[in-house]
Amino acid sequence: MSAANILFYIMSFIALASASYVAVSKNLVRSVFVFFVTLFALAGLYVLAMADFIAVTQIVVYVGGILVLILFAFMLSGRETLDVLQSPQRSIWKIKNLPALLIVALLFIVLFNVILKTDADHLGWVSDSIKTKNYISNSGDMTANIGVNLMTRYLLPFEIISILLMMALVGAAHLSRKERAE
Amino acid sequence: MAYHALAAVLLPLLAFVINCFIKGKATGWVSTIAILLSAVISIIVFSHTFNGGAIHLSRVWFTIGDTQLYAGLLLNNLSILMLLLVNLIALPVHIFSMAYMGHDQRYGRYFTCLSLFCFSMLALVVVDNMVLFYTFWELVGFSSYLLIGFWYKKEKAIQANKKAFIMNRIGDVGLLIAILVIYAQFHTFDLVKLFGQGGLVSQSFFKDGLWIAPGASIPAIWQYIACGGIFLAVCAKSAQFPLHTWLPDAMEGPTSVSALIHAATMVAAGIFLLGRVYPMFNTAELDALAFIGCFTAFMAATIALTQNDLKRILAFSTISQLGFMVMAMGINAYASSLFHLVTHAFFKCLLFLVAGVVIHEMQHVKDENQLDIDPQNILYMGGLRKRMPLTFIAAIIGGAALVGLPLTSGYLSKDGILIQAFEWSDTKSIGYKIVPIMMLITSWLTAFYVARLIFKVFFGKLRVLDVKPVVICHISDGGWQYRVPLILLSLCCLFPVFSLDPLLYEQSWLFKAFTTADHLERMNIYHTIIPAGLNILSIAVIYLAYAIYIQERKMLPFAQNNWAFDFSYNQWYFNKAYNTIFVKPVLALGSGLFWFDRKVVDGFIRLLQNILLWLSKVADVMDRYVIDGFLHLLTAIVQYIGNFVRSFQTGRVQYYLLSMLAVIVAWFIFKTLI
Amino acid sequence: MISLTHYLVVSAILFCIGLYVVLVKRNAIQILIGIEMMLNAAILNLVAFGQFDRHNNGGQMFALFAIVLAAATTAVALAIVLNVYRRYKTIDPDKVDQLKD
Repeated sequence: MSAANILFYIMSFIALASASYVAVSKNLVRSVFVFFVTLFALAGLYVLAMADFIAVTQIVVYVGGILVLILFAFMLSGRETLDVLQSPQRSIWKIKNLPALLIVALLFIVLFNVILKTDADHLGWVSDSIKTKNYISNSGDMTANIGVNLMTRYLLPFEIISILLMMALVGAAHLSRKERAE
Repeated sequence: MAYHALAAVLLPLLAFVINCFIKGKATGWVSTIAILLSAVISIIVFSHTFNGGAIHLSRVWFTIGDTQLYAGLLLNNLSILMLLLVNLIALPVHIFSMAYMGHDQRYGRYFTCLSLFCFSMLALVVVDNMVLFYTFWELVGFSSYLLIGFWYKKEKAIQANKKAFIMNRIGDVGLLIAILVIYAQFHTFDLVKLFGQGGLVSQSFFKDGLWIAPGASIPAIWQYIACGGIFLAVCAKSAQFPLHTWLPDAMEGPTSVSALIHAATMVAAGIFLLGRVYPMFNTAELDALAFIGCFTAFMAATIALTQNDLKRILAFSTISQLGFMVMAMGINAYASSLFHLVTHAFFKCLLFLVAGVVIHEMQHVKDENQLDIDPQNILYMGGLRKRMPLTFIAAIIGGAALVGLPLTSGYLSKDGILIQAFEWSDTKSIGYKIVPIMMLITSWLTAFYVARLIFKVFFGKLRVLDVKPVVICHISDGGWQYRVPLILLSLCCLFPVFSLDPLLYEQSWLFKAFTTADHLERMNIYHTIIPAGLNILSIAVIYLAYAIYIQERKMLPFAQNNWAFDFSYNQWYFNKAYNTIFVKPVLALGSGLFWFDRKVVDGFIRLLQNILLWLSKVADVMDRYVIDGFLHLLTAIVQYIGNFVRSFQTGRVQYYLLSMLAVIVAWFIFKTLI
Repeated sequence: MISLTHYLVVSAILFCIGLYVVLVKRNAIQILIGIEMMLNAAILNLVAFGQFDRHNNGGQMFALFAIVLAAATTAVALAIVLNVYRRYKTIDPDKVDQLKD
């Protein structure tokens, strides 16, 4: 049981616990903030998976961007939305949620089944890449690798993504414009 | 000659047909002329063929299977004599009717019916086979029915003609059975073949309980049944016990009809039938016949003693004399019976015509003075001999003939019967003596009631004056149409017509014509004692009646109010008995059947009706609830399924996602499991 | 070296939780959070497999792009939610059922 394992377990536990809290909580604000925690824990998991750049990107973009956006979106929406958003519901286990729970549980079982069947550790190409030392090592410096790949191999997706972002920006701006009172 | 006889028979038929189409007084003349011509022809036929050989003419009428039926004429002595008799009686009656029915509204209808009757009676006496005999027997009964109920507005007349017809029907059934039995045995209807000299009937005999005939044999019981049928027919037509009650009631018809039909001719048809089928009877049956006739004669004479209706007295007298004839047939006095038939026809017709004149005059008295009397009741008559002298003399002659006093034709015939009765009873056991003794008593009773009748009607004072001293009283003899028939018939009641010797009946030409060859004439003591004793005592009885009714001496040993009088007055209660025994049960049966028809049959139909209605209701309910319900059920199911499936489209996105997921998960599970 | 299977299991659990959030929540923004959670689970998966592809680095690249896409998605989604709120005065997805039968 190496330190990585322990860290892994801790990180995954935090992530899952906070995700569960998000699932259970009725309070929107609380769930958003706890989602923060989830994202942070996930970033830690990325680090453990030798993807440090991704982890940081996650924190910066996801947490700092998206979640802040969400927060700002409903905070600046006014009192009515706040009231609407906080509709009090007492019981935790509502019977209406049971079918969804069931389905989700079944899906998890199926996924778990597939995962076990897959035996990802001994997949063909995984074993090959281990043999050919194609895996990211502890001291791996991947940032440069990411940059190089971005400009060479994944240039097209990179450009398209940027266009996509622009489209999304324009679209969102347009969608949320104030209707002029006619 | 046969064709002459046929013409004589068909002339009244022609008159009948013509009278159907014309109206008024002409009908009377048509009928009378037809009868006159027929009478003339029959006299010619008589003079040529009487005591000659029998003439028999026949032709095939129709064929059924193997049987052929003939139609034809048989003219033997019996036929020719009856032919002449019927015509000679019908002619005065026709003349009388022209005046008697002169004021009647349905004058034409009367003569139509009368001609129909004459035709059927004449045809009856000349036909040669049993089928035609039966036909005309029935037709005679039917004409009698028409004429009895001539005044159909009178309730009593209708009941009387119904009664006559029904009783005659009983007789007809008997005759039909007899004809069928005879045919089954002998296979022929022909009278000559059956009953002629050496015919099939005389060749048949009894042996071992079988009735053997040339060609066939059947159990002996059938011969008795056949004879029983004949007896029934005779009793019905000739008014013998027990079927005699229709004749007194038949007096509801016009008096001329009574004279023709119910005195002289139709009632004689029964005797005629006996004459035709005489060879068929064996000794036992003849004895039965004798007893029936004797009893009937005695009974009718006792009833006639107390009756007050003029025509009813004469009706019972007819029944009594017919009893004499039937008895005579039974004691083998064939010739005397027929002799008495002929003489009875004349004097009874005469007496009825006398009654007709008297009643007619009394009717005038009643109408002119608006009295409430019965013109036929002798208690209102009396002393008419001064006002109606010719009628009185005719009545005296007729009455004397009926009693059987010497110098009349009645003496010859009646004494002949009585003498032969005594001779017959000598050949039998002592018990049979009762028959001639009863006949003697009956003769004396006859004398009494005839005398009573004449004294009550013609002597004394007119008792209707006791009811109301009338002012108008035009009673006289009437016109020539009344007098001529009376004169004609009176002449025929006297002895010269029948025999030149007034005292010996054997010398009569009529008697000689019918005696059989082996009839031995024994001049024994009876031939003198009986006529002497009978007539002396008859005269004594007449004097007794005179004393009682004219001189009004209280000589009656019998009181007026005892049971014997009531018994006689009520006709020995026969009518009441028949009413209770036969009429009431039949009427009860009729109303019972009516009730049955209405309640049970109609109830059954109504039940079926109700069942059908109920079935239709059930079908309706079935149709409405079951079949339509099934359709409604289907639509409801479809609707339910539709609504159920529709409920999946909730419009909620999460729900859609959930359902999609459910399918995918199900698919994955399915894939992993299989 | 942490076993791949662990990563996969964690990712599966996270994904299922995210799915549960999407199915159950009555708040559109919470649903958005759920979607993000699901995306994050997928990215975790990608990163875990990317350990064994150093040359092409497909896993991490893809993860990057996924993050970007997530951002775009969120932006547009928020705009939509705003519009929905303006129109129906509610962001409860159960109440926006005008397309129901």
